[in-house]
Amino acid sequence: MPVSKPESALLILGHGSTENPDSTQPSWDHADTIAASGQFSSVHCAFWKEEPSFRQIWPMIEEEEVYVVPNFISEGYFTRQVIPRELELDGHTTRRGDHVVHYCDPVGIHAKMTDLLIKRAHEIIDEGVKIEETALIIVGHGTNLNKKSTEAISNQVEAIRSSGEPFAEIIAAYMEEAPFVADWKTLTDAETVIVVPFFIADALHSYQDIPVLLGIEKEMTEAASQRDIFRRNPYHLGDRTLYYSSAIGTDPSLAEVIIDQVAYFDEHYQS
Amino acid sequence: MTLAEELEALLPPLESRFFGEILVRRDDNGQFVASHRDDAEMMDHLMPAETLAELREIAKFDAAGEYRPLKTAPGLKTGWITKTPSASEFLKKLDCLYPGAFATWISYLRGKHDPTSLRDTLERQTGMYRFAGSISDQMANQIMRETCSPGCLRKIAWPISSECAVSRINPGKKSIPLICTEACTFAVSEARKLVKEAYEKANSPAES
Repeated sequence: MPVSKPESALLILGHGSTENPDSTQPSWDHADTIAASGQFSSVHCAFWKEEPSFRQIWPMIEEEEVYVVPNFISEGYFTRQVIPRELELDGHTTRRGDHVVHYCDPVGIHAKMTDLLIKRAHEIIDEGVKIEETALIIVGHGTNLNKKSTEAISNQVEAIRSSGEPFAEIIAAYMEEAPFVADWKTLTDAETVIVVPFFIADALHSYQDIPVLLGIEKEMTEAASQRDIFRRNPYHLGDRTLYYSSAIGTDPSLAEVIIDQVAYFDEHYQS
Repeated sequence: MTLAEELEALLPPLESRFFGEILVRRDDNGQFVASHRDDAEMMDHLMPAETLAELREIAKFDAAGEYRPLKTAPGLKTGWITKTPSASEFLKKLDCLYPGAFATWISYLRGKHDPTSLRDTLERQTGMYRFAGSISDQMANQIMRETCSPGCLRKIAWPISSECAVSRINPGKKSIPLICTEACTFAVSEARKLVKEAYEKANSPAES
């Protein structure tokens, strides 16, 4: 949904990493796409673990009205606690110094994510793979510290099941809580399995940690940007064939989802 | 004045200034030019960096290809040059190399961005960093001395606690200061580490 905000700034928030150089790349890519569209007066990114940090961003923004969109998967610890605290926000709209700040929903809970996950699953498999005999695993981080963190993944699994997609099974799995992605061979009997990481970037978790948990890498590799080959799908592990996709947040359509969250804000939260 | 106008005022035609490890200047045509300060004598042999994405890549890795998570750490790569006739475009380019550093300086200079004390920063933390707030003054000084000073080019503008006085940083005649108005994630992580080590030492069975 296109929006026209020639007087407003857009601020995209990401996690960032002090260890992996690829964590912020999707946020910058989407920011560059949106900036080129001219829909906002300016487009900025800020990060929890990189610069500009959440705390450094305000002097950079000269527009009064600012839309803040978390490029995060779930509503949870970061979107409910860390971001409001660091940006000093107290609700959907906060007047903060010279700024009027609109705090939008994170990209990961947008309804369009279901179609993106389905598209990603279909585009990585080879011709001839029978979808009806293939299991789809959507993998997220998961943490016992916050129940909300798995909600985005389980909601997507339900939505894909309801969409009528003919996968043999559609399963949620997590890195740090049950059902564990490391147990993928026991989560399904399907011979062919597609795993789509419901993460923002091909960074530490989706590119380096999960491949080890799946058994397609023996040990943690270098970062994606430091390797010549991204992936060698499919992987043959015993009598199973596994396809592993890049993180859903790297899809260029995420730029549209960011814009959609601004439009959703105006429709639902703007007083 | 906008930030771009401030930048233009600080860099009149044919003037130059240091900005961290960068030399920023206006050339004969009035173009804004940035390159590494160590490359000042070899301007004709530098690789042009045109886009913001190219400049972000320059800032992301050092000469040995190691990731630079802190952009104001010493070790910005040499060998590049970027030019633009537009002050606002130049500001975007500088923000790729030192994100937000120019805006932070101008805001500080205008008195609109007061530094946050280290204790306020640490006491605000939650989750795995929630204990960082219990650092001693000795640990705080250790962080400044061993983490901030060798690891970052920014000048610290924050006090350890809000009751402490801290000197204002003044503009240099030939440089635009890189300043730190709030302890970053590296300082917070270091505070957590020091508190954790002290706790473990105090509670280790061998010492009790």
